Amino acid sequence: MMLRTLIFLLLCLPPLCRAETPTWGVAQLMQGLAQTKTAQATFTERKFLSVLSRPLESSGTLLFQAPGHLEKHTLKPKMESLVLDQGVLTIDSKARNIKRTLVLQEYPSVWAFVESIRSTLAGDLPTLERFYQTELEGDAAYWKLRLSPLEPRTREVLREIRISGRGNRVDSIETLEPNGDHALMEMTEDAP
Amino acid sequence: MNLRRYGAPGIWLAFVALCIFIISRSVFNTDMSAFMPRSPTPTQQIMVEQMRDGVVSRLILAGIDGAPAPALAQISKAMAARLRGDGEFVAVNNGERVGLEKDFELLWRNRYVLSDAVTPQRFTAQGLHDSLSAYLELLGTPMSAMAQRVLPDDPSGELIHLLEQVEGQAHPAIRDDVWFSRDGSRAMLLVQTKGSGSDIDAQEHAMQHIQAAFDEAEKRSKTAHARVQMTGPGVFAVQSRASIRDDAWRLSLIATLLVATMLLLLYRSPRVLALGLFPVASGALAGIAAVSVGFGSVHGITLGFGVTLIGESVDYAIYLFTQVGEHDTPQSTLRRIWPTLRLGVLTSVCGFSAMLFSGFTGLAQLGLFSIAGLLAAVSTTRWVLPNLLPVGFSVHASPRLGAAVISVVRHAPRARIALAVLVLAALTLLFVKRDSLWNDSLSGMSPLSEQLQTLDQQLRDDMGAPDVRYMLILHADDQESVLRQGEEVAATLRLQVQAGALEGFDVPLLPSHRVQLARQAALPDAAALSTNLRLALRDLPFRSTTFAAFPQQFALAKQQAPLDRAALQGSNLGLKLDTLLLHRDSGWVLMLPLRGVRDGGRIERGIRNSTGTAFILLDMKRESEQMFHDYRREASRYALLGAFAIVALLFISLRSVRRVFDVCLPLVAAVIIVTAGLMLTGHALSIFHLIGLLLVVAVGSNYALFFDHRCVSPRDRERTMASLLFANASTVLGFGLLSFSQSPVLNAIGSTVAAGAVLSLIFSAILIVERKG
Repeated sequence: MMLRTLIFLLLCLPPLCRAETPTWGVAQLMQGLAQTKTAQATFTERKFLSVLSRPLESSGTLLFQAPGHLEKHTLKPKMESLVLDQGVLTIDSKARNIKRTLVLQEYPSVWAFVESIRSTLAGDLPTLERFYQTELEGDAAYWKLRLSPLEPRTREVLREIRISGRGNRVDSIETLEPNGDHALMEMTEDAP
Repeated sequence: MNLRRYGAPGIWLAFVALCIFIISRSVFNTDMSAFMPRSPTPTQQIMVEQMRDGVVSRLILAGIDGAPAPALAQISKAMAARLRGDGEFVAVNNGERVGLEKDFELLWRNRYVLSDAVTPQRFTAQGLHDSLSAYLELLGTPMSAMAQRVLPDDPSGELIHLLEQVEGQAHPAIRDDVWFSRDGSRAMLLVQTKGSGSDIDAQEHAMQHIQAAFDEAEKRSKTAHARVQMTGPGVFAVQSRASIRDDAWRLSLIATLLVATMLLLLYRSPRVLALGLFPVASGALAGIAAVSVGFGSVHGITLGFGVTLIGESVDYAIYLFTQVGEHDTPQSTLRRIWPTLRLGVLTSVCGFSAMLFSGFTGLAQLGLFSIAGLLAAVSTTRWVLPNLLPVGFSVHASPRLGAAVISVVRHAPRARIALAVLVLAALTLLFVKRDSLWNDSLSGMSPLSEQLQTLDQQLRDDMGAPDVRYMLILHADDQESVLRQGEEVAATLRLQVQAGALEGFDVPLLPSHRVQLARQAALPDAAALSTNLRLALRDLPFRSTTFAAFPQQFALAKQQAPLDRAALQGSNLGLKLDTLLLHRDSGWVLMLPLRGVRDGGRIERGIRNSTGTAFILLDMKRESEQMFHDYRREASRYALLGAFAIVALLFISLRSVRRVFDVCLPLVAAVIIVTAGLMLTGHALSIFHLIGLLLVVAVGSNYALFFDHRCVSPRDRERTMASLLFANASTVLGFGLLSFSQSPVLNAIGSTVAAGAVLSLIFSAILIVERKG
C-alpha cells in the first residue's frame, strides 16, 4: 500500500516540478493581463508628427472594463473623449461640439490600432494575433511586447507598436509610423 | 355530300392554320402597359417608365445566410468578383471597397467645386485657422494617419467634408469587409442588371447568373447549408410569372384529368373527348390572332385571362354531345339547341364587347379576345363538330340520373322565399360594407405570396434601403437648367428635413455650372491664400513647410474646367448620377428620391412657396393605386354597360319582359351572393374578382337560357338538364381547383367562378319555371 502511494507520488512529481518554474511567454502574459477586469489610469501622450513643428501633448484619464469597453478622456489641451464599446468608436469633441461614430470593422487600419490596446488590456491573444505578429522581450517583472501589423494596408500607416509593462500592468504604448512619426503614451494606474 | 361533310372541316383547318401563322409572327409583351390608360398623365407616364425600366426596377437584392460570418463573407466576395465580370450586370456592390479609386480620385480632384462648404469665408485667415484646428484634433485620434495624408494639400478640409456627406448616408453594417445584416447572420449584395426590370426573361437570366455564382462560391467555401435569397422588382416579376405558370400548369393538368375522366365515362369515346377540345382551342387561337392583328401586339394578361374568359366554350361541346338522343343525329340535335346556344354566345359577346371601348389597352384586348374566341368556338361547334362525330354516337346517361335531376328541378322553386331572404341579406351586407368593397392596394393586386413580401421587407431592412415611395421630379429643356432647379429645390428640402417633414433625400453629385463657377470664384488667388494661410498658422504647431506646395495647387484648382457628366462616367458616382438625371426626347429629367416622408402635402407647399419651379411630387404607391383604381372602375363601368347590352339583346330575342326577367334574375342573384360571400370571407374585390364575375355571367347566362329553353319532350328536358349538370361540373372542377392556388390572382378567379357557376345553376333551377309547349 505504502509503495503504491509512493509510485503514485513519483508519477505526479515531474509536472509539479515544471509548474514551479514555468516558461514565461506571450500566452502567460496575456493570461495575467486577463485577470484585470477593470482598470483606471491617468495618461500623458506625446505625438511627434512630421507635419507639426512641436510634439502634440495631451493628458487625461483612461478607463477599461473587460473585455470590450475602453474610454479615453482627454482633459488637456481640449476636452475630448473617445469611447470604444462593442466595436463602435465614438469620438466626442466637446470643445467643437462634433460627434463622430466609427464602426471599426469598416475602417481596418483604425480597427487594428484600437485592437492593439484593447486586446492587450483584455489579454485577448486570438484577436491580437489576428492583426499582429507578436514578439515578447524581457520577463514577467519587466516586459516589452512588439506588435507588427499583418495587413498590408495597415502596414502603410503603422510600422510597429511597442507595449511595455510590469507584471499585469501596462506602463506605456509607443506607436511608430512608416514615415518616422511616432507617439508615446505613458500611463499610471490609479490604486484600485 | 362529300363537300358538305368535308367542306366545313377544310375551311376550319385553313382558318386554324392562318391563326397559327399570325400568332407565330406576333409580338408578346408583359410590361405595365396593359394597366396604363391610353392617354396617361405626365406623372403616370414617368411612374410607368420608372417601373418599367427605371433603375429601381433593375435592382436585385441578394442575401446569403446559413453559414458562419467568415464563410458568408468569403462567398459574398467570390460571387461579387465573378458577377463584376459578367455582362448581365451594370453594377455589383457588396460593401467591398473595390473600384472606388476612381470615385476618390474624382472627389479629390474636384473637391473645391463639389464641396458645398466652399465660400469666401472658408479661405480667410480665420476660416483656415478653424479648419486647421479641427485637423489638429483629428491628429490626436486614431484617424490621425488618414488626416495627415490629406492635410498638406487640403488644409480647408474639403475632402473630409465630402467624405462625411457620402459616408453619412445609410448603409448596411460591414463585417469582414462586406455588407451584413445588423445581426451578422446574412451577407448582402446589391446588383443592378443591364436588362430592364420589365424584361422578365432578362431578369430570370440575371437571377440564374447570381445563383450560379453563388453555387460556385459555395462549393469552394466548403459550406454545406448556405443559401442565397433574392428580392427586387425584377425578381418579383420572375417569381410571380413562375408561380402563376407552375400553379396554372399543375392545377390545369389535374383539372383536365378530372374533367376528361368524367367526360370519358360519359362519352365512352376518346375520339369524342378529343373533339370536345376543338371549340376552346380554336377559340383561343382565333382570340390571340385577332388581338395581334387588331393591336399589333398581345399582352401577357390578355393571354392568361383571355383563355379563362372563353372558358364557357368548353361547355359548347358538352351541350352538343350530351344532348344527342338515341334517334337523333348530331345535326338534328344542333338544330334543336342552336337558337339557345346562339343566344347564349351572343349574350356573352354583348357583355364583353363593352370592354372593346375601354381606355385601357389591357381591357380592350381582353374584349376583342373574348369576342373573336367565342365566335370561333361556337362556329366550330356548329359547323365542324357534327361532321366529325362518329356515326350513331349518342350519350347513354343513366336514366336514374335524369329522373333525379328532373325531380330536384321540379321541387326547386320551393326555395324561392329562402333565396329572396338570402339575396336581401347579401344586399344589406354589401350596402353596409360598400366603402370597403374594393381593394385597390398594390399588395392586393400583387401576384406574390405573403412569404415573398415578408422576405423582401426583411432584406430591405437589413440593407437599410427603404422602398422608394416618394420622388420629386423636375423637368427642363437642358441639363444646366434642370440641375439649377434641383439646387433650388434641395435648399428648400434641407429646411424641410430640419422641420421634420422628411428624413432625407438624395441629390446628384454634379452641381450646376453656375454653382461650380460660384465656388471657384469664392477661391482667393494664390498670393492672398498664402498670406491667409501664414496668418492662420501663426499660433498653430504645424510646420510651415508642410503646406509648401499647396498655393500652387490651389491656383490650378481655381482655373480648372467645370466638372461635367462625361467626367463621371465609369465611376460609382457616375452610375448614381445616371439613375437620377435622365435625358429624354422632351428634355432633361431630374429625380430626387425622398426618404422617410412624413408629410407629403407640407413638402409640396413648401417648395411651391419658396421656388417658382414646376415640379411633380410622385407618390408611387398612391399613383399606382390610383391607376389600378381607375382601371378597375372603368372595367366595372364597362361591365355594367355590357349588362345593359345583354338585357337589350334578350329583349330583342325573347320578346317578353317576363322571360328576360326570368333569365336575368338567377344571374343577378348569383353575382350578389358571390360578392357577399367574398366579403364575408375577408376578400375585398380586385380586378381579378371582377373578371371572375364577368365569367359567371357569361357561363350562367347559358344555364338560364337552357332552363328557359322550350323542350320538345320530357326526355329532351331530361337531357338538357343533364347536359347543364355536366357542363357545370366541368366548370366547377376546372375553376374550383384554381382556388387552391397560392397566387392571389388565380385564387380570386378560381373561387369566384366556381362558386358563381354552381349558384347560377341552382338559382336558375329555383327561379325559372319550365314553359310548357
